[in-house]
Amino acid sequence: MTKEKFNNFVGSVSTKLLKTVAFLLLAAGSLALNSANAQTAEADITGTVQSDKNIALAGVSVTVKGTNKGAVTNAKGEFELKRISGTATLVITLVGYNTLEYKLTAGKTNVSIRLSELVSTLDDVVVTGFQTINKKKFTGASVKLKADDIKIDGVADVSRMLEGRAAGVSVQNVSSTFGSAPKLRIRGATSISGDNKPLWVVDGVVLEDLINISNDQLSSGDPATLLGSAVAGLNVNDIETFDILKDAAATALYGARAMNGVVVITTKKGKAGKTQVSYTGNFSTQLKPTYNEYNILNSAQQMSVWGELERKGNLGPSLLSQSNFGVYGKMYDLMSADANGNFALENTVEARKAFLLRYAKENTDWFDILFRNSFVQEHSISISTGTDKSQSFFSASYYNDNGWTVADNVKRYTLNFRNNYTLSNKLNVGFLTTASYRDQLAPGTLSRTSNPVSGSFDRDFDLNPFSFSLNTSRAITAYDENGNREFFRRNFAPFNVLTELENNRLRINVIDLKLQGELGYKFTKNFKYDFIGSVRYVRSTRQHEISEQANMANAYRANGNSTIAENNKFLYRDPDKPESIPEVVLPYGGFLNRTENQLLSFDIRNTVSYTQTFNSKHVVTALAGQQVRLADRQNFSNTGYGYQYDNGGVPFTDPRILKQTIESNFPYYEFTKTADRFVGFYGNVDYLYDRRYSISVVGRYDGSNQLGSSKTARWLPTGTVSAAWNIDEENFMQHIDAVDYLKLRVSYGLTASLGPARNSNIVLRNKTPNRPYSTERESVIDLVNLENSEITWEKNYQLNFGIDYSMFKNRLSVTVEPWFRKSFDLIGSFKTSGIGGEAYKLANYADMKANGIDLLVSGQIIKKKDWGWKSTVTFGYSTTKITRIKNEPLVFDLVKPEGGNMEGYPVNGLFSIDYLRLISTNGTPIFVNENDQPNQAVYLQATGSDTFLIYQGQVDPKFTGGFNNSFTYKNFTLNAFLTYQAGNMIRLNPSFKNGYTDYDAMPKEFYDRFSVLGESFVNGVQPAIVDRVTAAQLSGTYAYNNYNYSTARVAKGDFIRLKSVSLSYSLPIVKANKIGFNALSFTVTAINPWLIYADKKLEGQDPEFFNAGGVAQPIQKQINFSIKAGL
Amino acid sequence: MKNTILYLSLLLLTAMAGCNKFLDKEPDNRAKLNSPEKVSQLLATAYPGANYMAFAESSTDNVADRANSNTPPNETRDPYMFKNVRSTFEDSPEFYWHGCYKAIAASNLALQAIEAAPDKQNYASQKGEALVTRAYAHFMLVNFFSKFYDPSTDNSSPGIPYVTEPENVVIKQYERKTVKYVYDMIEKDLLEGLPLIKDEAYVVPAYHFTRIATNAFAARFYLFKKDYAKVLSYTSQVVPTTAVASKLRPWNTSYAAMTRLELFNIYTRAIEPANLLLCETTSVYGRFIYDRFGYHVNTFRAIGIEVPVITTNTVTAQWQFAYQSYGGDNLVYIPKLNEYFVRVSVNAEIGNAYIMAPLFTMEEALFNRAEALTYTGNATEAISLLNNYLSTRVYFYTSSLHTLTAAKITAAYPGTLQNGLINTILAYKRMEFIHEGMRWFDILRYNIPVTHFVAGDTSPYSLTEEKKVFQLPQTAVLSGLQLNPRKD
Repeated sequence: MTKEKFNNFVGSVSTKLLKTVAFLLLAAGSLALNSANAQTAEADITGTVQSDKNIALAGVSVTVKGTNKGAVTNAKGEFELKRISGTATLVITLVGYNTLEYKLTAGKTNVSIRLSELVSTLDDVVVTGFQTINKKKFTGASVKLKADDIKIDGVADVSRMLEGRAAGVSVQNVSSTFGSAPKLRIRGATSISGDNKPLWVVDGVVLEDLINISNDQLSSGDPATLLGSAVAGLNVNDIETFDILKDAAATALYGARAMNGVVVITTKKGKAGKTQVSYTGNFSTQLKPTYNEYNILNSAQQMSVWGELERKGNLGPSLLSQSNFGVYGKMYDLMSADANGNFALENTVEARKAFLLRYAKENTDWFDILFRNSFVQEHSISISTGTDKSQSFFSASYYNDNGWTVADNVKRYTLNFRNNYTLSNKLNVGFLTTASYRDQLAPGTLSRTSNPVSGSFDRDFDLNPFSFSLNTSRAITAYDENGNREFFRRNFAPFNVLTELENNRLRINVIDLKLQGELGYKFTKNFKYDFIGSVRYVRSTRQHEISEQANMANAYRANGNSTIAENNKFLYRDPDKPESIPEVVLPYGGFLNRTENQLLSFDIRNTVSYTQTFNSKHVVTALAGQQVRLADRQNFSNTGYGYQYDNGGVPFTDPRILKQTIESNFPYYEFTKTADRFVGFYGNVDYLYDRRYSISVVGRYDGSNQLGSSKTARWLPTGTVSAAWNIDEENFMQHIDAVDYLKLRVSYGLTASLGPARNSNIVLRNKTPNRPYSTERESVIDLVNLENSEITWEKNYQLNFGIDYSMFKNRLSVTVEPWFRKSFDLIGSFKTSGIGGEAYKLANYADMKANGIDLLVSGQIIKKKDWGWKSTVTFGYSTTKITRIKNEPLVFDLVKPEGGNMEGYPVNGLFSIDYLRLISTNGTPIFVNENDQPNQAVYLQATGSDTFLIYQGQVDPKFTGGFNNSFTYKNFTLNAFLTYQAGNMIRLNPSFKNGYTDYDAMPKEFYDRFSVLGESFVNGVQPAIVDRVTAAQLSGTYAYNNYNYSTARVAKGDFIRLKSVSLSYSLPIVKANKIGFNALSFTVTAINPWLIYADKKLEGQDPEFFNAGGVAQPIQKQINFSIKAGL
Repeated sequence: MKNTILYLSLLLLTAMAGCNKFLDKEPDNRAKLNSPEKVSQLLATAYPGANYMAFAESSTDNVADRANSNTPPNETRDPYMFKNVRSTFEDSPEFYWHGCYKAIAASNLALQAIEAAPDKQNYASQKGEALVTRAYAHFMLVNFFSKFYDPSTDNSSPGIPYVTEPENVVIKQYERKTVKYVYDMIEKDLLEGLPLIKDEAYVVPAYHFTRIATNAFAARFYLFKKDYAKVLSYTSQVVPTTAVASKLRPWNTSYAAMTRLELFNIYTRAIEPANLLLCETTSVYGRFIYDRFGYHVNTFRAIGIEVPVITTNTVTAQWQFAYQSYGGDNLVYIPKLNEYFVRVSVNAEIGNAYIMAPLFTMEEALFNRAEALTYTGNATEAISLLNNYLSTRVYFYTSSLHTLTAAKITAAYPGTLQNGLINTILAYKRMEFIHEGMRWFDILRYNIPVTHFVAGDTSPYSLTEEKKVFQLPQTAVLSGLQLNPRKD
């Protein structure tokens, strides 16, 4: 679409929309017509004054305009005026609130007056973290969200609240576990291998991540993801506003860090006036999942599939030498003689049938066993107080989630203390202290490893109750007939999930402390100096406690017979005795593994600014400043062998387990340190002419040590020019009533970000060589990366247009922002000639184009005394296209659920192996292989994959947005919020295998499988379960695994979700006062109650959630009850 | 105003200078090459961490199609059919190319660090190792990727880039120059480095160019150059004059009593004195040995049982190897190269496979010396060396029966004794180094014809002149290199 056509398109859409809304409004207005009779008698007037948050206001001055009569409100906000004109105008003033003129109506002697807070003028300013700019003057693209408007009671993580609230901001809840971050993007991806996450800025200071979680890692379920959310320690109730800075002009002062956009959080400040105490309590429950939401065979169906497997020779007595088994393995185990020659189960057809029948009837409800309707409570109290000279704000909160599953729970405490002092009319200072502590329990889990050979991800000892429930057959039981726990085999050791969850857990502690100081000094009226400095310390420990009863510990002791001993990878064979039988090297105890992360960061900024108005038409603002930032991170982990939890916590370590560890080249402890140093200089000149024309120029010069110690690569200048035209201020617009506000904006600029490369100088690192005998090892220095003297920052040019339009007394407002972005010097891994010594180099080797449009329509459709209806639609569209990248991805890199990158395709494109058909003779799948031939085998490690893979679409949604409706009737508010996304593709769960086990759950697709009926085949859509001969023929082709990554296993990611519905009721002031409150309100919220639309092919799989196991959990259905009280 | 700008810029400049110091902090804890010990540690990686055995051995007459149902890996199938190897993973020529150049980069970095060091004199042995490792990696590259050196020609065909300084740009342009140029450069580095080598500088000498290993390398270099006097001079530093047999692998004594796993355990171990230089290589070759193209039972019958020349109508002489050969169906292997599998984490099923490759052995030095002795007219001494060898290899060795003599040689290979002796050496070498890829160089040096058959294919695959040169990685064109003329 050319730009011209595009504008026409937008124009026609908005015109239609406006017409519709105008009609609605006219209809509503005619209903509201009322008449007034003029009377001029004197009257005694009583009344109450309350804030727009229904809090009674004391000390409000109420004067009668044009007279010297007046009154001050009492503690309940009440006032009384005797003998004044019944149609007089009252002037109501209070510090911190907008002054209001209230015209009395004759005959009405009791009035209720609402004052709006002065803070709400924040609506008219943009907080960039560096400056607070009047919206009229502002030339960039930004969205302001008030925390109170977007808060979903019961959702503890701030970043999740942004979903669907701002056009162009997409939030994908890849996991909902507390502490994990959603995949948050502002206007889509900007980088290919770097992070795409925006910068979080809290009260002017960038919030550094404790550990950096890469794009792919976000959805990996690894324990580290629980530390992924930078804002997990923030109390939602402390937040006043969010300013989301989207384009180059808005983020310009962040220079070379702002490529992915910025989210600025402003927390609450103390206010002059009466001390205000407010309490918020949230009480919620997360609902247990149920089987009808998921696509899993019941136990009888499962048993029939197993029957077929057994007939095909897949579930024979050889299971006994396997590391894992379920029902069938147990049967063969019981059929073998014990030490006394007795058989627990007779090997007769009847006995076997009876044994299996029990499991067929069992229909275990794993969700019922492993999940519970949790109880989450959150209490937050804040005290705000102050005078003209000093203000203070204090808040504390407690969050406790006793766990949706039997294996997790979280407690979080936060503290926020903020003081501002005006020491003289020149000097003011402010101090801010925040602290939070988190104590979390999660199922014991290990990081996953990707296996490019079979194209799967391996994670041993996965205990995640959610993935366990989905992956474990309903014919497996947790309890036997007598109600005792029943064990099956995993890693050659007995396994029961409940026992394991009790004995294998992850304990996470996070302490986060921040001190911040601010100082402002006015040299003259126009010339000002500002200082802001902060220090933050975060420490987290992850303690993986594996007790001696855990399967994971017992796996190290499983050596029942020589076959088991030979096959158990956890046993140890001395390399000097190659013919010996592997031995147990963990005779007692379990493990105590600790990982500790620390962050210490400093951020200091000095700014001088100058503002002058000439001839009351020319407003010039200029600022210049300097910033120094430092962040030191360290990471320590170690493995504690043989810790005896039951025996007084004494470790018993067999020296051979350390020998095994060292000989296998596993580090038994690790410690890494990274240092981030950053310096920036910035300057900005704004010029506003006659309130109409505004122009802004920003330049910034940044230096960082992240590229390595080369002196040339480290510096980068960035800059932006932008302009705005306030058309509504033009003389010719003054008579056009339809337009209250009309502004045109354009900005163009360069922003940047640091990519993942660190080799502006050579990177050498010590390592231990991989040699089998410890006596032959030495510490060596490995050449990790050659020097790359050409390395530079990842950069992009952004062009942004914006139209802000509002009419009908600001009751309808529309913002349209088309944007165009050209990213270049992106860092990608590409294959070199290798002659320099590095076959694959990370270099600035990719370019990308992106463009899109953000649209916001917001309307107060009905605004009447008792009832109102407010509606907001956000819509964001973005596409990306990699225009240049010299990488050589493997097939597996492209077909994996997270997608891969290829020239000419969007970032994170999802590709599939081309599935052709099932072979009619045995029901096995066939594909187009890397040589364009039909074949069962596709070499997942092949390169040059663009020739035979099918491009399916992008993993990141093209369209995202939300639709919010808020209805008020008297003291009731009903809010319904929908979110949607579209235009992306999802890889379905990998359910198909060459061989199946007697414990894995199968999806219902298996009912539609190719199967044998006597001699003939029954056609089905899904591949058949193969017999042993076919399986042997297929081995090495990974045909079934290929099927998982084929065109047959892809679904659309589009969805519409009812994100929340809430009903709140606030007590009328008078009633509240009677029971001693300033304000009191109650809200009931249902969170994620309904996934209205999703692709049927997903069969219950959540389109947002990556079922990666580990610590990942899908977003939950939750019911919340909230109380807000003001004292 | 002008002054303000001046002051501001001055202020900015001082600020920037301070900032530069602030920004000099390295982003992570990376190593610095600031002591002889650290340069030594870097040089431990100046050995190609890649393995040539799969593609070299698969191109020789040691392998045949076992016609089993295994899917043949591209790394052995393509060289077996004399095609360009499609794989770029471990055991492919491309992977070996990258491994060699990575080793060269380490050598060059070490040399650069030594050059910049204020106390250069303390780095003599490091300089020696750096030069020799640089020479070795280039030597292996030029032999695989360029036309094989032939002293009877001018060797003007394209060589491989001889890299002498660290690369610091994303894409650098290089030149192939000539094979002669590469050989000259190798000789220069080797001769400069050799006298500087000091064994005492090594922590684990078996994995470094010790004096003896460097001499063995020099011997191989001059053997390829056919400068036999030099081969004699260098091998004299390697092969002892007395008790030679005690330095060879004890196949018919202590090895004979070992089980399969015990043999695997000793063959590539540092305590085995015959291993002059071991190298840690990322390789799954240990598995390829059991795959479709490999040491075939028919080959075993032809070369693996009876010792050539010694075996006659009246005397039975069998290789001890035959009694240590394992296998089934068409498959035979000798437990030599064991895979060392390093899992990515304690609980992972996947990981990386390594093979400790013996790059130089006492046996090779012995054969090289015997060959040089033969060409310099000292057949008696050559035969005596070979007898030392046979005393450790023949099953139930009986000197009265199994001694090699000139008469036996000329009986087995009619013609001149010199010619017969060379054939004898090549035959023994072939068996000695089975699985190890050494045969490939003898095939190149003596133009030994190789023909391979593939089950199901009617026409055989023959080794042509063009196919004797492995293809460069496709990406080499990025650096301005011409690929080799071979088509497929």
